[in-house]
Amino acid sequence: MAILVSSTVADGAAVVAEIERRSGERVSACYQCGRCTSTCTGSFVFDYPPHRIMRLLQLGQVDEVLNSRTAQLCFDCMTCSTRCPMNIDVANVIEHAKMIADERGIEGDEKDVRLFRLAFLQNVRRHGRLHEARLLTWINLRSFKPFNDLELVPLILRKKKIHIVPPRIRNRRQLHRIFREVNSGDKS
Amino acid sequence: MRIGVFVCQCGTNIAGTVATDKVAEAALAMRDVLHAETLQYTCSDPGQRAIIDAVQKKGLTRVVIAACSPRMHETTFRRTIGQAGMNAYMMEMVNIREHCSWIHSDIDTATDKAIDLVQKGVARVRRQVPLYSTTVPVTRRVLVIGGGVAGIQAALDIADSGLPVTLVERGPTIGGNMARLDKTFPTLDCSSCILTPRMVEAKQHENISLMVNTEIEQVRGYIGNFEVDVRKKATCVIEDKCTGCMICQEKCPGKAPDEFNAGVGQSKAISIPFPQAVPLVAALRKEHCRRFIKGKCGVCKKVCPADAVDYEQEDEITTEMFGAVVVATGYELYDWREAYPDYGGGQYPDVVTSLQYERMLSASGPTAGHVQRPSDGAEPKQVVFVSCVGSRDESVGRPLCCSVGCMYIAKQAILTKEHIPDSQSYVFYIDIRATGKGYEEFTRRAQKEFGAIYLRGRVGKIYPSNGQLVVMGTDTLSGGPVEIEADLVVLATGFAAARGAGELARKLNISYDQYEFLSESHPKLRPVETTTGGIFLAGACQAPKDIPDSVAQAGAAAAKVIGLLSRGEIETSPMVAAVDQLRCIGCFKCRDVCSYNAIEALELRDGRQVAKVIDSLCQGCGVCNVACPPSVVSLKGYTDNQLIAETMELLR
Repeated sequence: MAILVSSTVADGAAVVAEIERRSGERVSACYQCGRCTSTCTGSFVFDYPPHRIMRLLQLGQVDEVLNSRTAQLCFDCMTCSTRCPMNIDVANVIEHAKMIADERGIEGDEKDVRLFRLAFLQNVRRHGRLHEARLLTWINLRSFKPFNDLELVPLILRKKKIHIVPPRIRNRRQLHRIFREVNSGDKS
Repeated sequence: MRIGVFVCQCGTNIAGTVATDKVAEAALAMRDVLHAETLQYTCSDPGQRAIIDAVQKKGLTRVVIAACSPRMHETTFRRTIGQAGMNAYMMEMVNIREHCSWIHSDIDTATDKAIDLVQKGVARVRRQVPLYSTTVPVTRRVLVIGGGVAGIQAALDIADSGLPVTLVERGPTIGGNMARLDKTFPTLDCSSCILTPRMVEAKQHENISLMVNTEIEQVRGYIGNFEVDVRKKATCVIEDKCTGCMICQEKCPGKAPDEFNAGVGQSKAISIPFPQAVPLVAALRKEHCRRFIKGKCGVCKKVCPADAVDYEQEDEITTEMFGAVVVATGYELYDWREAYPDYGGGQYPDVVTSLQYERMLSASGPTAGHVQRPSDGAEPKQVVFVSCVGSRDESVGRPLCCSVGCMYIAKQAILTKEHIPDSQSYVFYIDIRATGKGYEEFTRRAQKEFGAIYLRGRVGKIYPSNGQLVVMGTDTLSGGPVEIEADLVVLATGFAAARGAGELARKLNISYDQYEFLSESHPKLRPVETTTGGIFLAGACQAPKDIPDSVAQAGAAAAKVIGLLSRGEIETSPMVAAVDQLRCIGCFKCRDVCSYNAIEALELRDGRQVAKVIDSLCQGCGVCNVACPPSVVSLKGYTDNQLIAETMELLR
């Protein structure tokens, strides 16, 4: 079925403007050469390769973007941003789509991925650096798979790959400031 | 003194923001103004007639026209009041459009400002004196810089009109980039078959003197009379003696890069670029010659049957006068290597530029028309073309379109199939730009008849694998990334201005853009003129263009030159500097600062040295006025008295 572009452009304008404001990029700068997609390391698991994300945003189809696997799974390797001939930080655009999806509580198909990402950030925020033992436990409990990978625990404990006691960092106040600044959401 | 003021409404352009009738009313109250009126379009026929009527009926001696910028219509109105029987310079244009109505919105303040501006104009025109232009004879000879197809065409067209032309070329032969092409789009004409007759014609033409291995050293003078120093570089070969037998090239032991073949294959330190070179004369490159590097060798001198080799030859600088100059310095391919490490940055031998591939396709090229990939000499079966390398790419600072890439890729894809029938070409493109006559049909033919597969997307990365090259690209039409295992990758590299174009532009005092392409005077209406009178542009030195456009522009430049020089003399602006010789102290600071050598010393009868302005050279820039310690140099039409009077009016 044809997309009624005249209505998607109008309906999506607010979210597109929000992504543009936060990321500092202009989606209209993209001329769809597809160079981002040509070497995208994640496109094999994406539903929309990066150039199509840019296109969907140009056409205001924000629901497709916010619900996309791409927004959930992009791991910010920044290859697309490096190669873009128009100097668009494509990864940054996708990252802000991801953040807006989080804020709206959009879970998408990849619930575990989202869970992991949120748990990871929370963990770093609390400890200043990753505390794997806590992260793994937390994820297993929250994803209702408490026994997931449990057989590996004796092995990694023996190899001292994982620490029971949480790590401590020095200047925690600075860390909190970083998180505060990121969450304020303005890139200027 | 009887002054008339004419206030233009310019439709609503001015009248929309400025109450023109109020301006006219206010003007009537100004000193010596005895006529003021508003006109709907002053530049129109009725508008001009109204001025002439007023001048003749009321016996006006000075006119102020409050309208648009003098850049638009100063000449028009000078002619008008000339027709009315006045001296054409007894007129002042006051700009109440660009300087007032277009930039203000409040009617009252804009009107007040317009009145002030008119007041200023009246004050100035009251102190105006009649000026008379003079004429200077022009040198009826033409300099064409650059011997590519555009330069050759311009030189031939001008020479055919009977004017003597000097065609100066930096390299050892004329022909330029077109001589290096195998075929031309969209007709697949053999490039050298259509160009070499023109090259020979240029050489044989009685009105063309050809100077190769020659560069422009310095340019003085101005329109009609340029004084140009040219440097003929030493090539260690006496041009008149060399017969072009090429024995020296055969025997020379010194290897050198083959510039004509774009680095495909090798050449010798003494060589002739290609068999149809014009003139067919060898040139020695000292930087690659064993004699000059190591001090030993002398083979070429020994074997030369014409005794044409002279190692002692030195650069020669000669000075000549020209009435006009055509600049046709052309282009070179953008050096992609540093900007595109993703494509190997020049490390992979089988990633070549379009010009290199052109030489590989050419029957007169280093491989005699057999396409062989550089790494192992094998015939490539899978050939990938990559568009827009160094074009449409802001990340490497080149957002411009090269305007010919789409077409020459289609041509090369067709030629690839013709050379290697079992080959397959892939073309990565972003948009196909095929706007010329027969161009769209040509790109369609490349796909329909010659089976080239077009993929819409830019290539991200090229890397070697198992003796092949893997090209990672995208096909946005099918929606995702694609990979191709290629034997040969051809990069459609964009156009850059010829090396040293900016430097030449500075010598000629013409402007150029950030890519060192030379700037035309007006993008629509003066596309072959430069901002400096008497200097014209032809070909790709102005912007990327294809052969027909270059040839057309060369013809246009030739027409301009012929028009300019057909008159035999040029009217000079009377707005030049003048020295009050009674008060001149003879310090010659004015002569020191003058960029146009327009001031000379004059000995008066009492033996006193004073400055004198050469009217025909003075450009009216005013630098001497400022430099003069006793302030006795002034610019006619812009005297200190006039400027002070204007300023006083504004300050009142």
